[in-house]
Amino acid sequence: MSGRRTISRAIERFVHSHAGQLAGIVMIAVLGFLWLPIGVLVFMSFADGGVLSFPPDQLTLRWYGVFLENEAARSAIVTTLTISVPSTIITVTLATMTAYAVDRYGFRGRGTLQLLSTLPVVVPLVVTGVALVLFLDGTLGLPDYLSVVLAHVIRTIPFATLVILPTFVRFDRGLEEASKDLGADELATFRQVTLPNVFPGVVAGGLLAFTLSFNEFVYTYFVKGSGDPTLPVYIWNQIRYNVTPEVNVISVVFLVVAVTLVLVAVSLTRVELLTKR
Amino acid sequence: MASRDRLGTVSAFFREHPRLRTLAIAGPPAAILVVFFALPLVAMLVVSFQTGQIGGAWTLENYRGFVGSETYLTVVWRTLLLSAQVTVIVAAIGYALAYSIVRFSRRTTLLLLLVILPFWTSYIIRMYAWINILQSGGVLDSLLGLVGLPAVGLLYTETAVLIGFTYVWLPLAVLPFYASLSSLDPDLIEASKDLGAGPIRTFVSVTLPLTATGVITGLVLVFIPTFGSFITPRLLGGTNNIMIGMVIENQFKSAFNWPFGAAIGMVISAVVVVLLVLATRLGGDLLGDGGEPS
Repeated sequence: MSGRRTISRAIERFVHSHAGQLAGIVMIAVLGFLWLPIGVLVFMSFADGGVLSFPPDQLTLRWYGVFLENEAARSAIVTTLTISVPSTIITVTLATMTAYAVDRYGFRGRGTLQLLSTLPVVVPLVVTGVALVLFLDGTLGLPDYLSVVLAHVIRTIPFATLVILPTFVRFDRGLEEASKDLGADELATFRQVTLPNVFPGVVAGGLLAFTLSFNEFVYTYFVKGSGDPTLPVYIWNQIRYNVTPEVNVISVVFLVVAVTLVLVAVSLTRVELLTKR
Repeated sequence: MASRDRLGTVSAFFREHPRLRTLAIAGPPAAILVVFFALPLVAMLVVSFQTGQIGGAWTLENYRGFVGSETYLTVVWRTLLLSAQVTVIVAAIGYALAYSIVRFSRRTTLLLLLVILPFWTSYIIRMYAWINILQSGGVLDSLLGLVGLPAVGLLYTETAVLIGFTYVWLPLAVLPFYASLSSLDPDLIEASKDLGAGPIRTFVSVTLPLTATGVITGLVLVFIPTFGSFITPRLLGGTNNIMIGMVIENQFKSAFNWPFGAAIGMVISAVVVVLLVLATRLGGDLLGDGGEPS
């Protein structure tokens, strides 16, 4: 009994005196685990053989050239953009309306609206994907393009709302009162006072929505027919059926898009905002 | 000028009819979410009770076929076990990381960014990276070879699936863990230590209970998407590690039995609902939105 106690004391003392080092090891190990695969992708995109080998073979930009000349990959990027740009605009508009209504007005169904705009994150993607193809395609018979844009809107709304709503909540409403006291109506107040103040949050929400939509795979995979694939669907087919070295380059494209947009979004708001759910 | 007058009229109209004003602002997003998110889920429920195709006769056949098949039940069981394993692994690693960041680092913003950035890159790309690392003769095997160890060729094993899931969900769990740890009053930890408790005792009896909300949120956030996943087992697990999400994918991509796929979708939804209710009872904050409590 006392022996065990001594051991547990010793462990407590060890953890107490080495806490900082242990934390350092955890941080380095886990962050290494998170970034190593990304490093592997970037490295492979420059490898001459197109695969990673030890010792590394010659570095080359060849695959970037091959990628730029690949008609299918280029058209997949265009397809993705023709979906992501409009769905981002729709999402940001709807999320801003939700944020404004939820922040300003008490109304019946306010809680339900908040719940509905969060729920798509919680429901497994495959479930919503199936539901969307059954309803949009099976029941309504909507054209492919419209279905996919709507699917992307549903996918991105929770994230945009999550970022935009807190900026509305934080915004000092005294400024709006002042504007109204000076004779501006609600619409003018929104355009001239509220919007400029919440604009960074709205842009950040839009950037995250776009990033998400650019990467969107599951909904698109279910809803979209066999027509032009988006870039994620294109790369899925490549990985499953015939990997070519340009896949590595496309990986880097995804990486650059995501890192750039998320960094800009974060610089416009606070990183803590992304930690809330 | 005319358009401004018209806008003025609109404003005046809404000032006199505040309920219509609310409807005009909250209505469109609500309508989109109801019609293109809630209704499709209802449609899935309806279709799951139809035969062979949409609009077929009413039947319980899809559910009977699912529950009566040992193969499918085995798949569900395996999916549950795997999801539980993933959840425990991710929670342990994620909590250790969040704790280290909150208590031992000043460069919180940078570290959080390093955690969330991989999460925002394409899921498929991240899986592709792991294919390259785990396949026989891949990065891992080469590294093992360099230190004189035999190759393991982990691709298409359950271990590969576990690694893949751990990789993609870690950021998702770290965020709620971080949020609840950073709002924990450090004085409480000091008080516990002043009263003679060591760091481990303090962790078990003070820190962990006080961050339970974040922990539960993180657990559910990892379990649910793992349970419904098909990409990771398809790319890393090969044919020996079938998960329930892959069965759905199959119904829509090759078997073309939509009602049966819808029924499996309902089975997954049922698991999700049970988990959400359980988690909310236990105090998790899954549907919170970062805004003021309503």
